[in-house]
Amino acid sequence: MNGLLRAAAVARKDLLVEWRGRQTTTATGMVALLMILLLGFVIGSEPGRAAAVLWVALGFAAVVGIPRITQSEVEQQALETLLLYPGSREHLYWGKSVALLIMLAALLVALLLLLGLLFSVDVWSHWGALLGVGMLGIVGLSAIGTLLAALVLHVRGRELLMPLLLLPLALPVVLGCVRLTEAVLADTPAGLWPVVLVAFDLVYLLVCPILFEVVMEEV
Amino acid sequence: MRTQTALGAAAVLLLAAAAYVGLFASPPDAFQGEYVRIMYAHVPNAWVAYLAFAITFASSALYLWKRRSGYDHVAHSATELGVLFTGLALATGSMWGRPVWGTWWTWDARLVTTAILFLIYSGALLVRGLSDDPQRGARLAAVIGIIGFLDIPVIHYSVTWFRTLHQPASIGPGSLKIAPPMLLALLLSLLAFTVLFAYLLRLRTSLARLEAGAELS
Repeated sequence: MNGLLRAAAVARKDLLVEWRGRQTTTATGMVALLMILLLGFVIGSEPGRAAAVLWVALGFAAVVGIPRITQSEVEQQALETLLLYPGSREHLYWGKSVALLIMLAALLVALLLLLGLLFSVDVWSHWGALLGVGMLGIVGLSAIGTLLAALVLHVRGRELLMPLLLLPLALPVVLGCVRLTEAVLADTPAGLWPVVLVAFDLVYLLVCPILFEVVMEEV
Repeated sequence: MRTQTALGAAAVLLLAAAAYVGLFASPPDAFQGEYVRIMYAHVPNAWVAYLAFAITFASSALYLWKRRSGYDHVAHSATELGVLFTGLALATGSMWGRPVWGTWWTWDARLVTTAILFLIYSGALLVRGLSDDPQRGARLAAVIGIIGFLDIPVIHYSVTWFRTLHQPASIGPGSLKIAPPMLLALLLSLLAFTVLFAYLLRLRTSLARLEAGAELS
């Protein structure tokens, strides 16, 4: 069986498990919704703040949701079996990160719609560009997030460590997406931000699969 | 052992010389007055912190490649010292910023990047401390040491551009013109701190080796 199929099988399994329980999506969606309501209420819901609120909310939702993608393997002791399947662990990484990417993309779509309602920004006429910017960010988040989710697996207090590791490391994603989303909404030039995001995505898409194999070694 | 003692003695002598030159022999600054002397402690701290993280990166990569625990001891020690010196750089920078810029903290790119680095490498130390088994801790900390170092340029540019689109950076490196006697004082303290760092790194690495030996027996 080739690598692509193996990765697709892992992604399909993760998405199917998520679809049956829908725990992670519900929890992360609630966190994001809470952040948006809280920030919108506290700092005011002017359209100019929409981009910052969106990406801070998505960042926190990612912190809550990302550890869950390897949690089920631990809770059901399925990790050993998953690692025993033949082939490279890199495929496991790709499968898991694609599943994460799809979940985060669904969250992004929901949040964009919500933002259009709550912050009275015109998301419809910029739909394609907003999604494009969002995908640039989400690719980076899931590239590094999948590695970190595997990394905190065998560490005590993993819920505490995830924000501490993910938020500083993914800071360029949040900053870049805030500025790019602002640029899209205000029809201003994007500057060098697409380069920053693409550079971030490429570096971590190259490095994280290799390091994932290191992280997944048994002791 | 003898090298270590010689290194320590050199560090003490150089630090004494740097303190003398920095505090007495160099002139006060035309604009900043005596406050400029904080620079002789602040800049070397920041330099040593970046040096430590570069060493962490190199030894982490070597550890994952060769799997010799010696590399891990160096990586662990360099991370600890890097976090320590980053903290010192932030503290001295804050003390310098208060009289010169009129504020303890400003959202300048350099400051934010340094603070983020402090958090990333503290995270690496935490992961090592909280993992169930020392070897696994070493591996995971090495992974963070690598991705954290690769992140530094991206973080730096993103933080710079995030602010500069709205307001020009308040303090740039070019705005501080430096006179030859002050440059001498700065270079001397850079050398002194680097030797001090080499001394501490060797000391901490041998401690890590002894700790690992004690755990095995």
